Formats: sequence, structure tokens, C-alpha cells
Amino acid sequence: MHKYAASFDSATGMLRALSRHLRGRDFPALGQFPAAAEPVVSRVLGAANRLPRRLSERAYALSGWSEASAPAKLASLRADELAEWVVGHYPRRRYPVVFVGSASGALVHLAAALGAPWLPQTLLVPVRQRGGHPDAPKDCLRRVRPAGEAMLAANPDLILHHMHDANQDRLMISGMSYFRIKWRRLPEAYRRFLDECLDGTLVVSDCELSWPTTRIGERYVFQHGALGGLSPQEYRLGSPEIARYLASHGSPYRSWDAPEPDGESPEAEWGFEPELMDDLRDAAGRVDNEVALLRFADPEALTPAVADLYRSWYESRGLPGDRLLVESFVLLEPWWTLRTGSVPYWMVFNSESSRKGLLSYLDGGEPYDEIRMALFSHGVESPGIAPIDAWQDVLARGRKIGVFAGVDPRAFPRDFAVFARMHRDLSRVRTTYPMPLALPLSQVEEALGAREDVSWTTG
Amino acid sequence: MRSTEIELEQRTARLGDWSVTGWRRVPPDADGSPPVVCVHGAGVSSRELRPLVAALGEHLPAWTVDLPGFGQSTKPPYALGLTELADALADWLEAEGLPPACLVGCSFGCQVAVDVAVRHPERVRSLVLIGPTVDAAARSWPRLIARWVRNSRREDPRMMPLNAADYRDAGLRQVMASFGAAVRDRVEDKLPHLTVPTLVVRGEFDRLVPQDWAEEVTRMTPRGRLTVVPGAPHMIPFRDPAVLVPLIREFVADA
Repeated sequence: MHKYAASFDSATGMLRALSRHLRGRDFPALGQFPAAAEPVVSRVLGAANRLPRRLSERAYALSGWSEASAPAKLASLRADELAEWVVGHYPRRRYPVVFVGSASGALVHLAAALGAPWLPQTLLVPVRQRGGHPDAPKDCLRRVRPAGEAMLAANPDLILHHMHDANQDRLMISGMSYFRIKWRRLPEAYRRFLDECLDGTLVVSDCELSWPTTRIGERYVFQHGALGGLSPQEYRLGSPEIARYLASHGSPYRSWDAPEPDGESPEAEWGFEPELMDDLRDAAGRVDNEVALLRFADPEALTPAVADLYRSWYESRGLPGDRLLVESFVLLEPWWTLRTGSVPYWMVFNSESSRKGLLSYLDGGEPYDEIRMALFSHGVESPGIAPIDAWQDVLARGRKIGVFAGVDPRAFPRDFAVFARMHRDLSRVRTTYPMPLALPLSQVEEALGAREDVSWTTG
Repeated sequence: MRSTEIELEQRTARLGDWSVTGWRRVPPDADGSPPVVCVHGAGVSSRELRPLVAALGEHLPAWTVDLPGFGQSTKPPYALGLTELADALADWLEAEGLPPACLVGCSFGCQVAVDVAVRHPERVRSLVLIGPTVDAAARSWPRLIARWVRNSRREDPRMMPLNAADYRDAGLRQVMASFGAAVRDRVEDKLPHLTVPTLVVRGEFDRLVPQDWAEEVTRMTPRGRLTVVPGAPHMIPFRDPAVLVPLIREFVADA
């Protein structure tokens, strides 16, 4: 675990899952425990599922808070050390493809198929905060702003997005702030890694998602809300549903008092900051490498393209492409996806919009015989979430088998054991499919180049 | 909550020299729906399936039967193996004049039902396999006993005296022979030959039939679909017959 980066974050989880896959290993309990500890971890978390609601919510928040840094320590954060830590995950060898840029679970599966590493542009640095209320964003900003400014002063290569989402991250942000940092210049560790390990094509993962933000400083923006159940307008203006949600959590507020947005920025967690582009071209060009740009509108927009790619890849290998593994957020398992001969369908979250996307994907193609689903639990029935029954209806689309992988439907969305049990359930799927050799990049270029929902350009 | 054996009509059919005892409950307004026939597991009899028959019989013609050697049916002079049991079941279906039926197997009863469906397809319209045995990965006595012990924690303790009575009725030799038949039978060789719609049902806490085996059974069955019953052990029909009624009714209506 890194002293600044949060292990519960999407980018870190994806980095871990992919790097373990490149070492030929699976990803038990988000890579935080050895596989041998899984039965114990899954029992402990299963017991946490049965705690009374308030208690289990506090346990969840505490697990996140324990990873957050004290504000005073932020000034000693060094971006290069973080970048060192990132590249340290990957085996040092020559890779014909390396990805750099935006996070997406679908991108992780694409990289896994190619046997390629991915270096994230964005990481989450959680900062401890005392006395702030999740429903008072302005006040929270005021409290942690000095720490953010100190960190930026020491790290000229970073851009800071203070992200505040009392809808989906409600439990986590009760004692901390989410600082998402983006590299605007290529850190030295990334540059060295590309020099030593890239032998072919550097693919820039460019998620075009943006969000209204308030500018705090030259390299500092505040983002209220995030991709998921609600629109930026709903965060800004409130709604009867939000008022009910806040009341149900005993909040004294009925809407959020956030700074007024004064512009749009790349979305804090997913969006690509284009300032990095020049350095990327420069780094790739130094040793005759190619640059390709993989562009998608939001992190989930890449999902159908990768799912279709996997399915046709299986079929070309003579395997049935009839198993679908639906994953969400940080619950993803590239190694078991390939081991079980599953087609990966990654959803950004557990919200109704992701469910609709999944349904429309299922409507658009041949039905699947088997559907397995790992559903992320964030601890609260927030506006925009799809209830467990609705997910069960999707599972009924499996012609033969439709089951959750590790999800306890009685506990969702306070199902803390899913982190360990997803892996356990997947490892029990009977399979005789061999692990494939890496997919050649030319097949990816051909498949993605022909699509309209994503864009793949070279040069 | 326990059913009412009184409501079931006891019947005796002749199969050659043997008499075979069956129970049924037929709703007065049975509207041409195919009969549902519940087949018991190894070493036991129809006793533990009668609650299910009573519950199903409110809506559909529902039957269960003591296979020869078990319960109240004739004890043959030798212990019957799987093939003989399946033939006897097919003969009994004919003797009762039943149209192609939905066979509902329970545990080893699934193996018998599958064998009937493969070798006497004219007798079978559809299959429900509840807790289908035996997991190919546990085809040995020590493994099965270990799993049986683990599973028994979740079973209804009221089943114990029924099992004891069943074992007593059948006798040690026939009980052991049926367990042996269950272990030896490679049901996975027959599943791909099934042509009828098949509903595989597994209890979430069934330790005898792990999830991957239930999935494998479903996968190998050309027209199979898996349903997992939350919170249930191996013997769902005894523990919670009511939960099976809507599942089976809906399946029979669609099949």
C-alpha cells in the first residue's frame, strides 16, 4: 500500500489487477491480502455485512479513512515517488504496447488481452478532514484548501481536482476529502519506463468526459459531484429525491451548498488532461515508437468495444463466446476473465445508467448462455443506484446460468464481503480453457478502428 | 406447516411380480397440465417428498413413488442398480397410464430421472433436477461423506427420523447398493443427450452439490437453466417445499 495513494480507488485497483495479470497472477481481495487469507477475509467481511446499518457504515468509512493522509503531510508528497510506485508494479521487460492515460475497466481488459501495461494519469490521494460535513462542500473545500495549495506548490507537474460527491462517496467523505491528482508533465519514472520497456506502440487512453468545475488556482479545481447516478445539474440545483436522501441520512441539509462552477474540466477521476499529450509524443518519439490515440466519451463507452473484441477473439480461437462476466468499478479480474473464457463487460458503477447500458448491450447481440455479475457496494442507497432486484432481472438474461459472483443480494449495497468473495466465486467456476497468448495489436487496431463508439487513430 | 399426508391418495400398481406404491394429489380442476412426478434419493423413500407433492397437488397433478426396494414397495430378492430402478420407474409411469411427465428428481433421484429421460424419452416431457448428484470432482466415498456431514448442519432435523425409517424399510444391502449406484453413475455422460427442457435447482448452502457442479450440469444439458434457491440446503423439498411450487409451476407451464 502506498502512503498517499488510496487502495480503494479505481486507478490503483486497476493498476494492481493489471500488473498482477502481467505477472500471471490473479487478484484476490483487491490484491490487499494473500490468496491464502481469503477464507478468513471473506468471513470477517461477511460478518461485517450482518452488523447493524450504522455500525457497518462506520466500519466502511473507517477502512477508507485509515488510508487517508493528514493534511500537514501533503506538502511532502512527491509526484515522482508516486510515479516510481506506479511503474514498480510492472515486470521490467519489453512490451510491444504500453497504455498511458485515463482509467477504465474496459481498458484494463484491453491491455490484459495485449499483455500490455497501463500507466495511469490520475491517482486518488485521500486527505483526512475533521469537522466537515459531507453535505457542506464549500466548508469542506475551505478546510482542506491550504493542504491542496501546499501540495501543488511542491509539485509543479501536478493538477489537483478536489472532488466532492456526497451521493456516491457519502460514507468515505465523512472524514476525508478526495484529492485526485493528474500529471500534466510526464514524470521521470514514467519516461524511464517507456525508454526501457516500450518497443512498439504507445497508446494514449483519452477519456473525453468533462464536468463543471470551480477554479481555485492555476492548477487547482473543485468538482462537485461525479459520474454515476446524478447529472451535474442535479448536484447543483438539488431535487426532491436528493432532499429525501439527505433526510434519510439524518443530514441537517436538504441540498448541497457548493461553489458555483465557472467552467468545465476533464472529469476528476476519469477524464484525460490533454496537457500531458506533448510529453507523451516526445517520449514515444525518442526511440522510434508509434503513438496511437484511443478516444472514448466516458469510461464505460469503451466497454462494448472490448466485450465484442473478446467475443470474436474467443470464437477465432475455437472457444465458445457464450460467457459474460459483468464487473463494476474496482471489482475486476482480468486473469480470471481469461481463465474462465469470459467476455468482460465492465460498468463504471452500480447505477441505473450503467444497468441501462448493459441491457442495451445485451439487446444488441447474440444472447449469452452464462452471465456472472460482480456488483460494487458503496454502502448507501444513493439516488441513481439500481436496486438489487433490477440487477437480478438482468441475470435472468443468461440462457442457462445467471448468477452473482460474490455478491450477497441480502446485503447490497452494504455488501462488504464482495471484495473477497468475487474472487472466490470466480475461482470456483469449472473451466478447462487454456490461457491465450497475447492478442496482436493489429487485430485490436482493426477491430477498434472499425467502430463508431470509440476512436482509434495513429500518428 | 408440514403437509398433510392425509390429502394424498395412496395407490398400488403391479409391475410383474412387484407391487409399487405411489401417492398422488390431483386438483379437481386439473386443466390438462402434464403430471409432475417426484423421484426420491438414494436409500430413502417418497416420505420426504410427500410434503412437496401435497403442495404441488393444489395446482397440478402431482405424484411420487417408492421405487422397488424402498418404502412400501416390494423388496426384490436382489439389490437394484441404477438401470433397474430407472426401468422400474418407466414401467410404473406406464402402469399408471400417465402421459409424458415432468420428472422432478431429488439428489440421486435426479440420476434416475436423467436415465429415464435418456433411455425412455417417450415417458418424459421435462425434467427438474433438484440437487443433482454426484459431483464428478467428488466421486469417492470419503469426499461424499465429508460433504454430507458439512451439509447436514443446514438440513431440517425433522428429516432424521424419516431417513432412519427409510433405511430400516429398505435394509442395509439395498441402501448401500443405491449409494454405490449413485457414486458409479457418470451422469455427465448422459446429460448432453437430454432433449427435454430441464430446470436445475440448487440450494445456496448445498454442500453436496457445489455451485460449479450445478453450473456444469446445466451447461452440459442442452436445454438446461439453473436456479439457485437462497438460503436452502441440499434437501430443499423437505426443508422448504413451498419455495419450489412457483418455480415448478412456472417451468411446467413454459416447458
